Amino acid sequence: MKTHLILFPILMPLGGAVIAMLLRHRPRLQVRWTFATLLVSLAMSASLLWTVWQQGVPLVFEGGGWAAPFGIAVVGDLLGLLLVVMSQTVLLSGVLYAWGSRDQVVRYPTFYPLFLMLTTGLTGAMLTGDLFNLYVFAELLVISGTVLTAVSDDKYGTEAAYKYFYISLLAAAFMLLAIGSLYVSYGTLNMADLGQRIAADGSQPLLPVAIALLLAAFMIKSAVFPFHFWQPDFHTAAPTAVSAMLSSVVVKLGVYGFLRMTTLLFVAQAETIQTVLLVVGVIGVVFGGLSAIGTHNVKRMLAYSTLAQIGFILVGIGWGTALSIAAALVFAVNHSLIKAAMLMLAGAVASRAPVKTAAFAAITGLGKYLPGMGVLFFLGSLALAGIPPTNGFISKLLLFQSGIAAAEWGVLALIGVSSVLTLVYTMRAFRRIWWQAPDAEVKVKASGDRLLAPILLLGLVVLLGVWAEPLVSLAQATTEWLLSPAAYVAAVLGG
Amino acid sequence: MELLTALAIGLLFAIGIFQMLRRNVIRSAIGLIILANAINLFLLSTGAYQGVDPAYSTAAGVQSDALPQALILTAIVISMGGTAFVLSMLYIISARYQTSDLDEVNGLRN
Repeated sequence: MKTHLILFPILMPLGGAVIAMLLRHRPRLQVRWTFATLLVSLAMSASLLWTVWQQGVPLVFEGGGWAAPFGIAVVGDLLGLLLVVMSQTVLLSGVLYAWGSRDQVVRYPTFYPLFLMLTTGLTGAMLTGDLFNLYVFAELLVISGTVLTAVSDDKYGTEAAYKYFYISLLAAAFMLLAIGSLYVSYGTLNMADLGQRIAADGSQPLLPVAIALLLAAFMIKSAVFPFHFWQPDFHTAAPTAVSAMLSSVVVKLGVYGFLRMTTLLFVAQAETIQTVLLVVGVIGVVFGGLSAIGTHNVKRMLAYSTLAQIGFILVGIGWGTALSIAAALVFAVNHSLIKAAMLMLAGAVASRAPVKTAAFAAITGLGKYLPGMGVLFFLGSLALAGIPPTNGFISKLLLFQSGIAAAEWGVLALIGVSSVLTLVYTMRAFRRIWWQAPDAEVKVKASGDRLLAPILLLGLVVLLGVWAEPLVSLAQATTEWLLSPAAYVAAVLGG
Repeated sequence: MELLTALAIGLLFAIGIFQMLRRNVIRSAIGLIILANAINLFLLSTGAYQGVDPAYSTAAGVQSDALPQALILTAIVISMGGTAFVLSMLYIISARYQTSDLDEVNGLRN
């Protein structure tokens, strides 16, 4: 269905960022404006998602009125809109956290405009129907995320941002090369058109090159195993409100890319891609879990945990059955909520520590003074480890069910053992902060970051744990769409 | 001509990657710029041999493909922004660590 409304979730934060920039001398108004913008944008994306789900046709906008393969299309299908609603929910909670945060960085005049640009980049990348636009929006996302980290309170923020920016420029280079290779082989960059032409002629010599380059680019975006090394540094050094976004929703851009690659662009070659994803996913699960156990910093532990959790999602995509893709989608949504809440809690604990850091050496034993946070952290740990009544249980349950249905016993055993590691490292952190006595008499700061944002997120975590049916059926509907890309292609190319 | 362009682009890629892997921060930034330009030339070459007449003109011959040029314009703008940002970060980092050697910028490793 043709409509201009699908532009709204992209244009709202983009315009909001411009106005927030003009409000830079009025910080109180700026944060309220940012919050309102994101709230309206989220409401709009959610209603669009509802419309698309009910009507069963993707919403398409054609730039300048040019028909699809020639003009630039913005396509809102279930996958894109589901991930956009997930991202904007978490980003809204990020603004809420920054609002009540004691960090110096939130008083930086362009903090909120950059936050909105981050939203624009992420939303745009997930809604665009054009491969080159995906690259542009991904760059917007990378640059705003890097600036937000470079101005962090952490003195190593600039160094981490520098590292990340270099590796991201490499990802951008890979993506541009892939785009060039695909364009010279197939003469189009519209994803629906490209998918059809690749299905018709899979013998172009540059096709495997383009697949490998795109795969590498998305692996860098998602911090998947061989390209993960920047991620713990970057997510540890970023300001709490930002690292909670980076480690939860921004890494999902790669997951989105993998899903588009295997179900729309390279359907005939999907099996090879899925094998690669399965292997790196299992490595990520094991390696991320083991590394998280060995860390000395809560934020760093959670960053390694993201590596493991993304691994679970990749295993779901790698199995490639209808059940396992639905499980991967549910897992992706649930992980975003859990990880954002956990990182915010870690940041809130650090904000009460005498020296502002999330290193275990500084925050051991602080929990004695912060019992409320302990309850929340414990709940989050349960969710991360996949124990009822949280949504983490639902996502693991679905994933393991799909694995049993696909009879993948070896992989199942490996990820089953590794999910115990999750419990080990979260409980280790919990024990050190809340049960162990501090080394010396510590003075907790009287006030720190507000807890409203993590409480809301954990509320959603429990809600989706006890009432998971809507999300699961939405994920199943999305999977049906993904596995029959003809509807997407017909909607974009006008049948 | 095609072979020559291909060789030149390949050489630029090699120089760019080699410089990017150097330990000196300025050299690695220059490598980045060379790499970005190599990619732009690569994008140009995807449409360079389609036709030689200007696009949207009334000339009788085969008109050139305008899309790669539009892609390159966008890529140039993005890489310019990126390069400016990298240089400003380099400025801060070299001032803070008092070095231009990347191996000594290791605050995060400890």
